[in-house]
Amino acid sequence: MTRRTRAAAALLSLAVLTGLTACSSGDGDKSGGDAVTLDYWLWDDNQKASYQACADAFTAANPSIKVQITQSAWDQYWQNLTTQLASGDAPDVWTNQGSYYPQFVTSGQILDIQPYVSADKVDLAQYQAGLADLFTKDGKRYGLPKDWDTMALVYNVDHLTKQGVKAADLADLSWNPADGGTFENLIAKATVDANGKNGLDPAFDKSKVKVYGYLPEWADGSQGQNGWGNLAASNGFTYLDKNPWGTQYKYDDPALAATIDWYKSLIAKGYSPALDKNSTLSRDTLMGAGKGAISYAGSWTINTYLGADAKAKFAFAPVPAGPQGRKTAINGLSDAIWAGTEHKDEAWKWVKFLGSADCQNIVGGNGVVFPAIKQAGEKALAAHKAKNRDVQVFVDEAQAPNGTFFLPITEHGNEVSQTVQDAIQSAVLGQSDSATALKKANDQVNALFK
Amino acid sequence: MSSTKRRDDRRAAWWFLAPVLAGFTVFYGYPAIRGAWYSVTDYSMLNTPTFVGAANYDKLVHDSQFWRSLLVTLWYVVLNIGSQTVLALIVAALMHRLTRSVVLRATLLLPWLVPNVTVGLLWMWLLDTNLGFVNHLLTSIGVGPVGFLTDAALAMPSIAAINTWAYTGYTALLLYAGMLQIPQYLYEGASIDGAGEWRMFRAITLPLLRPVLALVLVVSLIGSFQIFDTIAVTTQGDPAGATRVLYYFIYQQAFSYFQMGYASAAAVFLALILGVLTAIQMRLLRASRSDLA
Amino acid sequence: MRKFFGWAVMAVIVVATLFPFWWMIRTALTPAGDLLSDNAGLLPRDPTLVNFARVLGLTSEAEARAAGGSGAHIDFARYILNSVIYCTLIAAFQTLFCAMAGYAFARLRFPGRDLIFAILISALMVPPIFTLLPNFVLVKDLGLINTMAGMVAPSILMTPFAVFFLRQFFLSLPRDVEEAAILDGNGPWGIFWRISLPMSRGPLLTIGITTTVWAWKDFLWPLLVGRGEENRLVTVALGVFLQQSPNTQPDWTGLMAASTLSVIPVALLLVFVGKRLVQSLNFTGSK
Repeated sequence: MTRRTRAAAALLSLAVLTGLTACSSGDGDKSGGDAVTLDYWLWDDNQKASYQACADAFTAANPSIKVQITQSAWDQYWQNLTTQLASGDAPDVWTNQGSYYPQFVTSGQILDIQPYVSADKVDLAQYQAGLADLFTKDGKRYGLPKDWDTMALVYNVDHLTKQGVKAADLADLSWNPADGGTFENLIAKATVDANGKNGLDPAFDKSKVKVYGYLPEWADGSQGQNGWGNLAASNGFTYLDKNPWGTQYKYDDPALAATIDWYKSLIAKGYSPALDKNSTLSRDTLMGAGKGAISYAGSWTINTYLGADAKAKFAFAPVPAGPQGRKTAINGLSDAIWAGTEHKDEAWKWVKFLGSADCQNIVGGNGVVFPAIKQAGEKALAAHKAKNRDVQVFVDEAQAPNGTFFLPITEHGNEVSQTVQDAIQSAVLGQSDSATALKKANDQVNALFK
Repeated sequence: MSSTKRRDDRRAAWWFLAPVLAGFTVFYGYPAIRGAWYSVTDYSMLNTPTFVGAANYDKLVHDSQFWRSLLVTLWYVVLNIGSQTVLALIVAALMHRLTRSVVLRATLLLPWLVPNVTVGLLWMWLLDTNLGFVNHLLTSIGVGPVGFLTDAALAMPSIAAINTWAYTGYTALLLYAGMLQIPQYLYEGASIDGAGEWRMFRAITLPLLRPVLALVLVVSLIGSFQIFDTIAVTTQGDPAGATRVLYYFIYQQAFSYFQMGYASAAAVFLALILGVLTAIQMRLLRASRSDLA
Repeated sequence: MRKFFGWAVMAVIVVATLFPFWWMIRTALTPAGDLLSDNAGLLPRDPTLVNFARVLGLTSEAEARAAGGSGAHIDFARYILNSVIYCTLIAAFQTLFCAMAGYAFARLRFPGRDLIFAILISALMVPPIFTLLPNFVLVKDLGLINTMAGMVAPSILMTPFAVFFLRQFFLSLPRDVEEAAILDGNGPWGIFWRISLPMSRGPLLTIGITTTVWAWKDFLWPLLVGRGEENRLVTVALGVFLQQSPNTQPDWTGLMAASTLSVIPVALLLVFVGKRLVQSLNFTGSK
């Protein structure tokens, strides 16, 4: 009998042990009392400090609400978020981006904040034009704008100066998919081989390139925000029948295929590194190491290129003007409330604060990104000026009439992204020609909406 | 038998079996049924599953991405099993004829003990086009930098090579254990007859090792079909799907696209392949047992 | 001469096996800022321990950034501890429970024994991916996401292989000792605990060590169920760390420092139980 008791006791202690580990590792954020802790997620580690400052200011004004900020990098962020949503344990508030958030809307994960916005009379006109509408569908509202970004060319000043290129030469570049315009001419000039000959020199040896004139980004989803998307748009390409919430993609547009073909010609001429020789190093590191002269840069990378740690002297220039004019992607971010949160009212207070001048002035003052509120954007510009950084081009582009386009916002964002990126990579790798690959991808993508 | 009362340990047996039966029912039996059910539903993890009949399977059959991922997986299996088995045979044969050193065996086993994630990271770094040591070596002998993981034609062979590095020692030790069961006098006899090492390997080692070799092959085969970690860390299916294996395809459908039902249908398909392989393994196991007994 | 050639080939294989580990440690000792200029020699020019310090969470956010990391909090000491707990729980309990079941199938008599065993063994044919998705949903429904309990749940009670392996072993044990114990009036529990278990130390250790190694390598399941900081395993942490690097570029010196830390425990295992481990590796020990 004693043996059996002992065995039973062993089993019991196991059950207790397992139970204990479960408890000790359980979430501590649901501790009692009146104080509420909101979980808030973002991906950009450059901005964490700004939002921590916002959170501190917010808690000072609302002592019963604390905000716990979690940062994880881009890919991880979305994977975490989807898994957490699926397991019913998501952050109360998170940062949203156009291509990812629609699937959360469709699956009912984001709280409609329109009633709150109406009740609290939030002034939507204070934001940069168009941003607030990106996060609405069928009269429901899924977030308040927090910031925006545009694209520019970034270039290595010393290298270009050595090649006899002046800043003024970059102020009004032209581009077309046939001969690449003055943009390609500049890229050729900036490409230098081991013998010091540049890409325009007949003696240029494309098998021994030391500095590439242009560094492309190929892991750029279905948007090409960091390169091809902007040029394709200036060539007359539009992603969708309507944006946001279109259901018919247009990746089979010859204007896009022509753009990709132009990129391929850069590789063939030795002005850009081949995709199959890509490294794990990011473009900004390669730029910093002097392996590339020109690339696209988003306004969120201003600190990377102009900050104190930058490895070389960089400057920004407007993106080249294509056959349809100068076009840059403009992208807006927002903060969303999880539909399943237990603290809806507190979460709204925090989102409202994030969307208010109080927080966006803090963010703008830190000079990392451009806040969505126009005045706060001015503050960001001033902060950059105070540090002697010329970032005017991002603002000018954003304000130019017809100078911007919004990135597509539709359902199935993840799959569209993967399918189109695969197609573009296979075209660039020479496995298939651009038009065929894009046509096939477009059919696959549009089949998702049937 | 008839005179003594047949012993019946029913009560004790249930105690002995309780944890395992609970584990089996809850985490093997029930999920298997549930997985089969998901495969005929539209389920995103965020909604309640709705029955859609064979729609997922129909889509699967017509999904070029799925077939591509199956081909990519087979390509990996061929590359990995080929290189790993040949190398492991060489290592095992060398050890068998040279030494019984435990230190050597432990050294060769080290890569197998390391998590696949670490292995993937380590080799991604060694193979990096710009800064990796392997490319440094290649460049210094005049062969330009090679995009091991970014060149569509090289990515899969590179992944196979990485996992060969990680698993050869382990496989070699299994084969070596099999070789130790071959009676030593056979070699002594052959040696007296003037047979060389290569002839002994072909005439004695290989034929007598066959049951063990077959078993090891099937076990590696089952493992290779389920490659995931290395790819999740290094290429994530890139470039352009050249390394998107079946397991990664299923993972992506389930956890990036929220197509739980569709992913389950693909998993059923993989389960069928692996079920057949395992059945073969069990049969070989029984055969090799009776051989050696 | 032939032997010399054989040893030469073996030497090449040993170098190829070990060199990557040296390169890992070498990179871990290199300052992040030197990586572009100092990536070829066998030794770093200015060796530093800062990469280890920052992956162990011993540096401030500013120091970590200055050393090339992101500002994200990382603490590999904790992740390794989590992994050790995870492996110990699984190896200890899975071995015990599977030994109990293996013993029952080998020695006890009860109706349906062979049928139950056959059903259990048929689970060997179900690949993990098939039960992975429903198990995730199950653990989620039980509210065990991001808990150690949820992470160990599917494997702590059993694996079909261990049951199979230990049953085979118990079948091979001589019966006479047990029969003597029965005559002394011992029940099944007494025999199991006092006689059969102590006689099976070897196979139990084999199964335990093998289970530990596999658990140490686990990635996908803990990635899905245990992403949270408190219960993150070392493999998951490496994956997260890879993604967390600033500006989408891997923080190689930090990653290699963390990788080195993830290898140390298994290297120690090899030092202490290496002999048993390599000797236990015959083809029945393969999973």
